[in-house]
Amino acid sequence: MIIQWVLSLGLVLCLFYAFMQRGKSKLVSFAIAATSIAGIYFVLFPEETNELAKWMGVGRGADLVFYCWIVISLIVSVNLQFKILNLQEMTTELTRELALRAPREPQNNA
Amino acid sequence: MDALWVVIPAFNEAQVIADVVAGVRARYSNVIVVDDCSRDETGTNALRAGAVVLRHPLNLGQGAALETGIRYALSRGAEYIVTFDADGQHRVADIAVLLDRQHETGTDVVVGSRFLGAAHGMPPLRRIVLKLAVAFMRLTSGVPMSDAHNGFRLFTRRAAERIRIRQNRMAHASEIIEQIGSLGLSISEAPVTIVYTEYSLRKGQRLGNAVNIIWEMLLARLHK
Repeated sequence: MIIQWVLSLGLVLCLFYAFMQRGKSKLVSFAIAATSIAGIYFVLFPEETNELAKWMGVGRGADLVFYCWIVISLIVSVNLQFKILNLQEMTTELTRELALRAPREPQNNA
Repeated sequence: MDALWVVIPAFNEAQVIADVVAGVRARYSNVIVVDDCSRDETGTNALRAGAVVLRHPLNLGQGAALETGIRYALSRGAEYIVTFDADGQHRVADIAVLLDRQHETGTDVVVGSRFLGAAHGMPPLRRIVLKLAVAFMRLTSGVPMSDAHNGFRLFTRRAAERIRIRQNRMAHASEIIEQIGSLGLSISEAPVTIVYTEYSLRKGQRLGNAVNIIWEMLLARLHK
């Protein structure tokens, strides 16, 4: 089926991205790789998600995938927030340094 | 008093900043206004009124402006640093009240309390939210306070050198109290009078910001 090929190709690209990221963060690289491999497997064998869902006590495979997607999205979102905080800290320090280097003194400082 | 520096963070306060600076300068010579990238004449008016002006080239928020002003004051040899609002809510006479309290107690930080003093013109809903904030801060920081979000504070040099404000925006007030608790600094409160005007209420933070503050504090804790 076409959708299986499209999804598999997308997930293979994710796997490639995980490989490229291994130098920056081993944990993130591993998480992306593991998620991509699991995704490829379930795209190729969709009935397996039903089996896994039953085993985990979730009604349908589609529900299980949906719940996992929510959790992964939250983790990605928090990770992005941390990256934004790091950038914000750098911007703040740079802005502060510029302000501290150029104080304007009043003419008649009594 | 040469060892005391007053730090005033300001953003678009051209309308009132000159009066505020002049009022403080009538009693204390060292005034720093941190112009947080105002789009109006805040910096120029503060300079004309006699303040040292530091200008952020980007708008960062009140917490960041305070940290910039405190660092500058420390570099100029300040022994006491008072943080003071730019919107005219605080009374200059109360700086002496904070200073006297510090001398009496010897504490590292003295925080002004409108609930020990007076708050003229405070809307009832704001009073309720501030009381809830006090209870929340007591729970999270363990520091017993009667007023958690008052921008009128006095830091000794020892305290100012240790506290590092990383919350750029309004969560800095809670962050300061948390750091006082975690760094083991001593704290006391002094009664001050806050005068709410139509201008200060319009300029002040919205009550809905409480949710943002809680979110920012939670993120900061996870990010440590």
